[in-house]
Order: sequence, then structure tokens, then C-alpha cells
Amino acid sequence: MTTATERRHADSRGDGASTGREYVRRAPVPIFGKAFTDGWRALIGWAVGFGVAAFLYLPLFPSMGASADMQKLVDTMPAALVKSLNYDQIGTGSGYTQATIFGLIGFVLISIASIGWGAAALGGDEESGQLELTLAHGVTRVEVAVQRFAAMALKIVLIAVLAFVLVLILDGPAELKLNVAYLVQTCILFGGLALLCGSAAMLCGALSGRRVWGIGGGAFVAVGGYVFNAIGNQSADLEWLHAFSPYHWAYGNYPLTNGADWTSVLAFYGGSVLAGAATALALRRRDIGV
Amino acid sequence: MSHVDTTHRSGRQHHQAGAAGNAIEVVELSKRFGRTRALREVSFTVPRGGVFGVIGPNGAGKTTIMRALLDIIRPTSGRATVLGEDSRNAGPELRRRIGFLPGELSLEGRITGRRLLQHYADISGPVPRGHIDELAERFHLDLDSHVRTLSRGNKQKLGLVQAFMHNPELLVLDEPTSGLDPLMQQEFLSLVKEVRAGGQTVFLSSHVISEVQQAADVVAILRDGQVVTVAGVEQLRQTAVRHLRMTATGIPPAELAERLERLDGVGGLVCRSLASGATEAVATLEGAIRPFIQAVSTLAVTDLVLEEPDLEESVLGLYSAPAASASPVGPERGGRP
Repeated sequence: MTTATERRHADSRGDGASTGREYVRRAPVPIFGKAFTDGWRALIGWAVGFGVAAFLYLPLFPSMGASADMQKLVDTMPAALVKSLNYDQIGTGSGYTQATIFGLIGFVLISIASIGWGAAALGGDEESGQLELTLAHGVTRVEVAVQRFAAMALKIVLIAVLAFVLVLILDGPAELKLNVAYLVQTCILFGGLALLCGSAAMLCGALSGRRVWGIGGGAFVAVGGYVFNAIGNQSADLEWLHAFSPYHWAYGNYPLTNGADWTSVLAFYGGSVLAGAATALALRRRDIGV
Repeated sequence: MSHVDTTHRSGRQHHQAGAAGNAIEVVELSKRFGRTRALREVSFTVPRGGVFGVIGPNGAGKTTIMRALLDIIRPTSGRATVLGEDSRNAGPELRRRIGFLPGELSLEGRITGRRLLQHYADISGPVPRGHIDELAERFHLDLDSHVRTLSRGNKQKLGLVQAFMHNPELLVLDEPTSGLDPLMQQEFLSLVKEVRAGGQTVFLSSHVISEVQQAADVVAILRDGQVVTVAGVEQLRQTAVRHLRMTATGIPPAELAERLERLDGVGGLVCRSLASGATEAVATLEGAIRPFIQAVSTLAVTDLVLEEPDLEESVLGLYSAPAASASPVGPERGGRP
């Protein structure tokens, strides 16, 4: 039996595990670990969805984008529509991959996933009443915000890596003839844009304590950016809208064809880190669960 | 029984760790939510090693006080000192020494109780090996079911295990017995007695006076964000109002009324004849019940119901503002205070 002095000593360090026999072992980064492992089913779901999309779309390139018939069809469509759908470069493997995967279905999937994660991380957790109990334990609010941000970021990175791997696998069979370096850069933009959406969702959730505001904030960045890009494509008069479109920052320059615009990369990752910091500060100041 | 052993062991530790001073000192604590004043200059102290109860109706501010102690919400003015540290500046180290049960307990449903408790063990004070199982066994709680499949009472038990498992110096429990069946309520009360015997401090809230009476040494009565009174439980018992209803045969209503009216503490007395020929008396009874028992001991009593004092009617009735006393409190309160 441990003596009272020993126990007190262990208590004062808050680290019973190291005494080796008396206390339940504790996880090193519990908030991060939990936030990451909680979502593993969802993560696999999104990964499968992404895989299905890639395997459905990309193998069609030889018969769609690269075919003369398809090009004729695209030529008959109104120019504005073609630009809205990002079909203007559909004749090349890189243009097709961007238009279908990174700029459309993949963008939709990863945006929904990241916004969902971001909105749930703090706003949803507070709304459900669980954040209150977590914060009543031996953690700081900044810790909770930072570790949950990191968990979300890691999940997004994993999806971006998966996107890279899948597209690379399909590159040969689908005759896409992609530049691998540009593919890497595109995936960095792809993940960065999603991270910005997720960070916005997390920040709005932390500010309001409501999941729905988080979703609204994240969707504003994702959908708003997409719409601004589409409208900006319509005429030179409206091109100024591109400046406000994160979607355009990512794909306006056709990164899979021309390489990434590194200013955009900086904007996405820098902006996300700033939003993460603002999230931690916002959470620190607020009354929780009221 | 091993859990008793554990408690006593940790108890000695807490005694030695310093029983001196107060576990909680709340000084003129106020909290506004927009235009609502949830707390108005609330002050009280909770000595170490005691059980302190807060009672009051919903919305009186019990939960707000507890949340302020845990730094979940920040007071508008005033301060609270918890285990010698200012609640506002205290970091995780302080909260590791506290066990908290929120009033509106919400737990993640997708994992088992065991994994959920492991997560809370990861972020609270050190949990002695085996203690979680001891507590779960005590409350007949199955830790291997998914939380979402548990009944409300079983979720509450998980919350209690979570609060007690690291033998914290201070337990802050918001409506701890809500959802528990009577047997488990008794188990909870005996657990509270044990941890108090071990030197841990318990700060709990309830709107059930009987529960607080059984568990607490001292009770603060909270109403509209203000402490109306702080009293010892014995003192409170004296002022408690019970409802009584009795029937007796062989005595006309007038005579029964005359006999009961003389007693101290009887109010709102109504005596009437029943169809069966017996006489029924309904009244409220305040203070000691012995004189009443003596007064009716010679009667042929066929039925006697003496209800547990109810917080809403007894305590709040006594301390309510004049406007509030017009609200329905018992059938007839007569001219009594």
C-alpha cells in the first residue's frame, strides 16, 4: 500500500502513471487523440466516397475529355457555361482531372467533411453540452482548441494524401499524363482550401457555441468562393470577384497544368492557422454552454 | 468491501494534505446574462471536509454558481476561491483536484462507458487502478454497453463515477441524484458520507429537500440569484412545513378542530365529516411533530398521512417575497407566516 506522502506527491504532479502501479495510465495528448479517433469511421467513409468518385470519373477521360466528339460538344456550349463548369480545359488530362475531381466532386466531398468536422469540434460539442464537462477537467481551453484543430487538420491532410495516391494510380490507366510535381502542388491547394473552410467553421462554432453557425461560416467560404469564381468567370467586369474567391485562389491558375500559385498556398495555410489562433482566443474568453 | 477501503485510504491523505481553511469561498459573486441577473452578490463559504448543499427552484442560480467555480462561465463581478485558488485564474491543476457533475449531463453516445471514463481519466486527476470498476459495481453500472443505449439513470451513474473516480479533494455535484432510482439515491448518499468521512468536501445542489437533509451539514437556500439564508440542516428541519391528513372516528369535526388548533405550528386547518361518518382533518404542520402525535394519541385514528416536507412549499414559502407568497402554496395557509 502506498503511503499518504507518496500519493500526495503523485497527486501534486498530477501524474500517477509514472509511479507505475497505482494509477490508471493516461494518454499523452488525450484531446487530440480522442478528436482524431472519434471520427475514424467518418474519415473512412469520406475516403471511400472519394475513391469511388475518382474511379468513376478519371477512367472516363479517354472517352470523354480526350475524344473529339466531346470536344465538339463542349465547343457548342455557351462559353460562359463552359467556364462556369470549368470545362474549358477538359481536353487535357490535367484540365479534366481538375474539372472533375479537384474542382468539383472532390472539392464538394472534402469541403463537406472539413466543414462538418470544424463545426462539430467546438460549436457542436458545446451545443450538445459535452464541452462543459471536458473543460471542467484538467485541460485549458487553448489546449482543447489547438488539439482539436490539429486533429481536423490531420484528417484533411490524410484525405489530400489519399487524393494524390488515387489520382497517381489512375494517371496511367486513364491516360491523364499528369505532371507529378504539379499533382503534389494541386493536392496541397486542395487540402489547404478544405482546411480554410474547416477552420472558418471551427472559428464560427467557437464564437457562437452553435454547430449551425459553424456550418454557415464554413459553407460561406466554400460555396461563396465557388459562386464568386463562377460569376467572376462570366465577364471581365465581374472578374474582380475572383479576388474574394478562395476557390479561385486554388484553381483559377490551373495548378495541375501550370503548378501552384504559392501565394494561395500561403493564404490557405496561413489563414487557417490565424483562424485556429482566433478560435483559441475566442474560446478562452467566452462563457460556455449558456 | 474494497471500495470502502479505497475511500478511507484517500481520506487519510486528504486529512493530512491540510484540512485547514475553506474549500470554497464565494464573495459577492454576480453574473449577468444580457439583461438577466442570474446571480446577485452571492456570498458563502464551504469549509473543508463538509457537505454543503444548495437548494432552490430551477433558475435560482445553482448551476451558475457551480459553473463559475469551475471557470466554465466568468462572473460579472465578485470572486470565488476554490481550494485556495482564485477560480478565474486557476488552471488545469486546480480542476484536477475537483470532481464535477454537470446538471444537464450530456455524454458522448458512440463509445462504451468504459472508454468514455478512460477519456475523462486521461484529463482529470490520477485515478487509482480498479477504482472505476469498484464505483461501477457499486452503482450496478455496466461499463461495456454503449453510452447511447443506457437509460438516463445509468448515464447519471456514469457521470457520478466520472466525478468520484479520482478521489478529488472537492466534489461539485449539480443535482446528483436526478434520474437515479431510490435505491441508487441511497447508494449515492452513503458514498457522500464515506467521502466526507475521508475528508473530501462535497458541494451539491438539489431541489429535493429530503436529499439535502440527508446528505448535507449546511444548506444555502437560493432564490432568484440570491442567497436567502444559510442554515444548518437541523435548523432547516425546524422550519420545514409538512402536510398532514388524518381521519379519526368518534369525534365530531368541531372537537377535532379545537384539539388541533391549540397546537403550535398547525396552519390551514380544515376539518370535515366524511360520508363514512369519520372526521377528516387536513392541515400544515411546522416544526416538531411530537406535540401533534401526543394530541391525537387518544383518538381512534383510522388514517394518518404526514408528508415529507417539500422545498417548494416549506422553505421557499417561508422566505418568499410578499408578492410570491400569493402563489399557491398548499391548500390554505391560514394566517401563518
